[in-house]
Amino acid sequence: MISNEEKLSALFDGELDAAELDEFIDAVSDDPLLENKMSLYSLLSLSIADRNKAIPINKNVNKSFYNFWFSNSITAAASIALTLIVINNSDLTRMKINLDSANQIESAINSIEAKKIISQSEEFLTDHVMKVINDPTYMSNNKNLDFKDVGFKSINSNYIRGNENFNLRVEKKNLGIKQVKSWRHGNKNIFLVPLSDGRVITIYGNISRSTALAIAEKIK
Amino acid sequence: MKNSSKDIDSHLIEKVKNGNEKAFKILMIKYYPRVYLALFSFTKSKEDSEDLAQQTFMKVWDQINSFRGDSAFFTWVYRIAINLAKNFVASANYRKQSLNASIDEFEMDFSLFNDVESLLIHDESLKKISNYVDTLPESLKTSFILREESGKTYEEISEMTDTPIGTVRSRIFRARELVIDYIKKDLIIND
Repeated sequence: MISNEEKLSALFDGELDAAELDEFIDAVSDDPLLENKMSLYSLLSLSIADRNKAIPINKNVNKSFYNFWFSNSITAAASIALTLIVINNSDLTRMKINLDSANQIESAINSIEAKKIISQSEEFLTDHVMKVINDPTYMSNNKNLDFKDVGFKSINSNYIRGNENFNLRVEKKNLGIKQVKSWRHGNKNIFLVPLSDGRVITIYGNISRSTALAIAEKIK
Repeated sequence: MKNSSKDIDSHLIEKVKNGNEKAFKILMIKYYPRVYLALFSFTKSKEDSEDLAQQTFMKVWDQINSFRGDSAFFTWVYRIAINLAKNFVASANYRKQSLNASIDEFEMDFSLFNDVESLLIHDESLKKISNYVDTLPESLKTSFILREESGKTYEEISEMTDTPIGTVRSRIFRARELVIDYIKKDLIIND
């Protein structure tokens, strides 16, 4: 029999079943010590997310890129740090992935620019990226894809190759994306890759751009 | 069968929609620090962020029936918080106007957060906590980081580490206990 404290930890992780949860709601909300502990769990999560501060990446992709750091808006909210890059046309044409242009998009981010992004056109993408990072179930809408050709085996919704692993999601709509975008989150990258048939794939994991493109090519 | 974190949120949300204050309290405890930090990034003020966080959760309570689950719960809460922050930035008096009747219906207790999270968020404590996590025994750290940083489920961690799920659950719990002991002994008391 597990202790209430251990059960609280499982609750925080979403690992209680409905019956256990119902039984435990009263216990948590009636016990200030458990409440306090759950509050500290939440803080602890923040500290882990806080270690994933934005790191400028792919400086060699295009010299006109700025760092795209959502630090003062999205990042703080989700306690994440994201770096936006746009991948070179050449990589994508080689992979036969649809790219109308490789316009450089990066924007220097400080709080003002972050707020603009929140309030302007990237809101849909913001939601999408936040879901990718915050909601593990969001990234599991395709469980039957085979990436053995690129060395990844499937375990549940994860694809694993040695120390590398990723989750993948396929959108039937194009999300308005005409070029590959990627963000960095800690030691992971998020790649949004438009395919020539109008779909967009989202790949989230500790994999490189070239690996992501190889995966995208397999889906195509 | 176990739920995902999203499922548990959904379960709690359904209860909140039926007026269950205890379920709401759990959601609030879970998400308050993230909301607070988001708001602080806008206001740069501890006091204003606390006010706005309270308003955010009051609105969540008021408007929970309009949450349809199209987005993650936190994304929805985050939108409410950021809209409040935008309005706050646009109007210095906004916060004075926006308290509504719901506070009379359900008195929320925010003192827990103000005393602990606010204190720790505003100094180097998050970094210290993160550094302390790196000193945990490897087996505890691996499970804990896979859960917290990579969002893996216990089942996934079990498969990845070839460890029974019960052991994974226990390791994550023990990791949290060690870090919380550290917070209480070295951060809160010393401050």
